[in-house]
Amino acid sequence: MMLARVADSLYWMGRYIERAEHVSRLSDVMLTASLDATGDAPRAARTALGAPEDIDEGKTAVDVALSLILDRDDPGSVIVSVARARENARQVRDQITSETWERLNLLFLRITSPDAKRQFDQRAVTFLHEVISDLHLFKGAVDSTMSHGEGWRFLMLGIYLERAQLIARLLDASFGEAAQGSPLSDHLSQMGLLRMACALEPYLRVYTADIQPRLIQEFLLFNEDFPRSIRFSTARIEEHLRALAGHGNVQASGTPERLAGRLSSRLRFADLEETASSGAGGLLATVSQDCGRIHEAIYGAFVAYPVEQHLPT
Amino acid sequence: MAMTCFGDLRRVDDREPLDRPLSAAYRPGVAYDEMYDREAGVRAHYAALQSRISTLGAGELADRQKTLEQSFLLQGITFTVYGAETSTEQIIPTDLFPRIIPAAEWAKIEAGLGQRLQALNLFLADIYGDQIILKDGVVPRDLVLGAPAYRREMQGLYVPHKAYANVCGSDLIRNEAGEFVVLEDNLRVPSGVSYMLANRDAAKRTFPGTYRSSGVRSIERYPDMLLATLKSLAAEWRPNPQVVVLTPGVYNSAYYEHAYLARLMGAPLVEGRDLVVHDNLVYMRTTVGLKRVDVIYRRVDDDYIDHLTFRRDSALGAAGLFNAYRAGNVVIANAPGAGVADDKAVYAYVPEIIRYYLDQEPILSNVETYLCREPKQLGYVLDNLDKLVVKAVGASGGYGMLVGPHASAQERSDFAQQLKADPSNYIAQPTIQLSTAPCLVDGAIEPRHVDLRPFILCGDKIVVTPGALTRVALKRGSLVVNSSQGGGSKDTWVLTGENETPPAGDLPA
Repeated sequence: MMLARVADSLYWMGRYIERAEHVSRLSDVMLTASLDATGDAPRAARTALGAPEDIDEGKTAVDVALSLILDRDDPGSVIVSVARARENARQVRDQITSETWERLNLLFLRITSPDAKRQFDQRAVTFLHEVISDLHLFKGAVDSTMSHGEGWRFLMLGIYLERAQLIARLLDASFGEAAQGSPLSDHLSQMGLLRMACALEPYLRVYTADIQPRLIQEFLLFNEDFPRSIRFSTARIEEHLRALAGHGNVQASGTPERLAGRLSSRLRFADLEETASSGAGGLLATVSQDCGRIHEAIYGAFVAYPVEQHLPT
Repeated sequence: MAMTCFGDLRRVDDREPLDRPLSAAYRPGVAYDEMYDREAGVRAHYAALQSRISTLGAGELADRQKTLEQSFLLQGITFTVYGAETSTEQIIPTDLFPRIIPAAEWAKIEAGLGQRLQALNLFLADIYGDQIILKDGVVPRDLVLGAPAYRREMQGLYVPHKAYANVCGSDLIRNEAGEFVVLEDNLRVPSGVSYMLANRDAAKRTFPGTYRSSGVRSIERYPDMLLATLKSLAAEWRPNPQVVVLTPGVYNSAYYEHAYLARLMGAPLVEGRDLVVHDNLVYMRTTVGLKRVDVIYRRVDDDYIDHLTFRRDSALGAAGLFNAYRAGNVVIANAPGAGVADDKAVYAYVPEIIRYYLDQEPILSNVETYLCREPKQLGYVLDNLDKLVVKAVGASGGYGMLVGPHASAQERSDFAQQLKADPSNYIAQPTIQLSTAPCLVDGAIEPRHVDLRPFILCGDKIVVTPGALTRVALKRGSLVVNSSQGGGSKDTWVLTGENETPPAGDLPA
């Protein structure tokens, strides 16, 4: 049992943290990839972020990365995500541990400091690495100091829902409809894509250095053990929602749990051959839509339910 | 020591022990100094700290101060300062040297504060009951019933243990004679207790050895004492009362404190929008439906807790909350209307109030106070504006006041106009040189004026926390310690008395 508003804040804190990490990593890979004259990775990164036109306007990768990281007017930028995560954390300061709070606050102070732009200008890649490792430290503090109860589960739900949607969008931008008929074809870009999903090394363990679009999709969609695969994320979403239903009113929270179970099963029992032959586009669209539905169902069951339902009669 | 030309001169200077600057450059003024007596000897209870400080160089002190500030910033112990257009989050300035109070002095403060709060709660019970004290003419009726904080709605209501003010943060000052006197009783929503606790955490890290050897009384039990106090207010047929902390929200300047107390008590931190009142019962919206609330430790002013009863334009409280309170289904702490007893005009009568209800002499004195509502006293105040501090009765936080000796002639004559226009809104007090304590200011140790805000809890019994927030006026010579006016704070050590060395005079030469 916890305040509905608090659950809401923890959930959004998770989403913003995951978003900040994803955008930082995309920027990092984009900057590194832009050092090589060829390759479509920068375009894919930009597409995955939903604004491919910046490249066309002749902005350099550094300009784009700078605005992705430090532009306070860009609602998707890392600085905005971190600030919002911290704002949410501040509103539930009594619910999270001091260790967790301090990690996040430290990152916030680092990224909002007047010195941040100079640091970025001097050593952009190092700066991004530090931001990403700060986010990992935050998640480590969450895992090792917070009780793995209701509040923690809302936070994790936010992280995994955001992750499933971001990976789906990244795959779509690389191989699906958003790639506008020019899927990533060269080896370097495909390696870049794996890096954006933080998946290169785990992929190599499974498939060796044989990098193919079909295998990348298989890995990022269906791998059971890789924490950034969509299957892994949806399995966690299902697990957390099932546990949350145990905390409370089973009837009311039945809907999000059912939706998550269906999505998770779809990925678990998918026919790899069929997906490979017909393309992953349809499945990616389903993932995106279902994540949206789960989000709404979570709100209906736990946060924005009508009070009348619960008044004593 | 001869300096070689390779040495960085500044660094060598920095490392020079501060013994000399401490005794030579530290010049207490006319005020009582907490650390030095009139002959510039170190007071016995400060000896351990002084000898520790003298072994540290300026550089080391600055490092410690910096570490302290960093840890406050990291923890988010910040205060929101509202400017004309922008608001910024700042750490409350904090000083690394603790202020030390010997056991015997504290015993008197403790007894005095307990006595005072007991009398004030009896006064409130009377005012909102039969009003006998008004009938006896001890306090003027119009002064009480016309006070801005008087709440007609509270008349005749049941209040558990007749404890109206459950959390009290009095402001004490030490005058030129070295005597502690009460400047103000804060019975509404006094803040600062989280800074008291945070300062203590910091002091333990800054001066661990001195802390251990001094025998300092622990204040770490404040959160659980607060919880026990709040639970003692719940109806006895509610065996496991749900206590919540009600905050105006994250934009409130004391939000850090609200979250801090909720966290350390393990109580949910709620906002008005989390509460639902139905059939005179108060619930909070949780992830599993509505959960009944029994005790609300509110950090929202009276005016804003229920827009059906008080201010209509408020969105910070919960509609119907006061009716639920009236019905006895929820406890609001502190009780609405408790502020009438800390009204600046009622303050002048507190010694009389103590004598009236307890038949005792006040242990702690008041500061002499002139009520401008009395024509004779107004005349005196107008003639002596350059010597007095004049305060608006309804204002707090250092706003709406004139510090006569520090004001310009123009400011004084402007203020005189306001005074004449609405005399009953003002009181005046002599300008008291608050005592000074050593503070680290720009690398040097200098005296700064301080006050003392101890915290007293009152539920089924009265508990005085053996510690306090010492507020510091950081500007040289300034007497205003409020954090909204550039004040800072420092830790306050109340000694157990067991480790104290006897006063210097008793030692063989």
